Amino acid sequence: MPFSTIATPEAKPVANYKMATRMEGGRLLYVSGQVAWDATGNIVGKGDVRAQARQVFENLRGVLRAAGGDLASLMKITTYITKLEDFPAVAQARGEVFQGELPASTLIVVKSLFHPDFLIEVEGVAAV
Amino acid sequence: MDRRDILAERPLESGRGFMPGVSVNPSRVLFTAGLTGRGPDGNLVAGGMGPQARRAFERLQGVLSRADARFDNVIKQLVYVTDLDAYNASGRAERAKFFGARPASTGLVVRRLADPAMLIEVELVVDLGGSPGGKPLLEKYNAENHGGDFHQGVIVNGGRLLYLAGQVANNPDGSVAGVGDWRRQAEKVYENIGHVLRAAGATSASVVKETTWVLSIDSWGQHRGPVRRDFYKGDFPASTLVEIPGLARPEFLVEIEVIAAIV
Repeated sequence: MPFSTIATPEAKPVANYKMATRMEGGRLLYVSGQVAWDATGNIVGKGDVRAQARQVFENLRGVLRAAGGDLASLMKITTYITKLEDFPAVAQARGEVFQGELPASTLIVVKSLFHPDFLIEVEGVAAV
Repeated sequence: MDRRDILAERPLESGRGFMPGVSVNPSRVLFTAGLTGRGPDGNLVAGGMGPQARRAFERLQGVLSRADARFDNVIKQLVYVTDLDAYNASGRAERAKFFGARPASTGLVVRRLADPAMLIEVELVVDLGGSPGGKPLLEKYNAENHGGDFHQGVIVNGGRLLYLAGQVANNPDGSVAGVGDWRRQAEKVYENIGHVLRAAGATSASVVKETTWVLSIDSWGQHRGPVRRDFYKGDFPASTLVEIPGLARPEFLVEIEVIAAIV
């Protein structure tokens, strides 16, 4: 991967993610906030944050692959959810997707996303 | 410029004014602060979302111009609004007047921005192309006199970009520092940012962009000043401040994301 991972015992992550990533080469890719719509623009998993999370990461993977990368290319993700209660389900879905340590990560509970049915949105920065 | 617009297989975003992804060779990149509908006198312009959105994009245009850039060079936009219906009714159309090329985009509805009457704030990442030449690694500048503790634009000329996870007031043993204590959490978050920057070979002067997420802008405003000034020693990054309803743990009052650049 054209980036390295930064860790320090003086400041540790509160979950299984990288504390920081430093780009060492490649192209800088910004991925739009991905939401749970399918190829036809329909919302997948209305009211079901777990199903939405799976679709969001599938969409994220699609953009990364189209850019010549994959989920492992991600230096940083930001996960936006609308309810803190949804976080455990989202964390579980993320764990299944990343199979190990997440990229550098931020989790924010927003008032809402750009459609009232969206429960999760994830954006990313990658080196590809 | 060697910008590539990434469409994925499904052109879902076509007609929506943004791309699923945009990649560039990061030779020179500009990060802007989040800008809002404040007029030249520092007060919000009258008339609600439409005029505030227009004003925010006009001010961003000023920041872009200072770097010889245009909206077509924007690779990422982040739009924060406090009222989605108002944005759909009269903000989105203002945005469309400024953009030709479509950047990667994220849109969020947040609880509050710096001023309770503020309806929209927009920040940009911009590909400036060209070669860093003999320019300094970071060029921090203002396009307007604003008197705030931030720069409106920071240009990264080469170097390596460093993305930090959102930093919170946690101790190495996993406990939360300063439960219910804004001042202590502010100190701890910047302490953690300092540790991570040092581990990466960077300093507070390396910080390009800062996004601060807080549960209360009023409380944060009472405590952040001395802590931030002590940390940055006058060398402030571009920044955005947003009030949201929650962070990953109920004890966290503030989370700060930092992007830095090092040689």
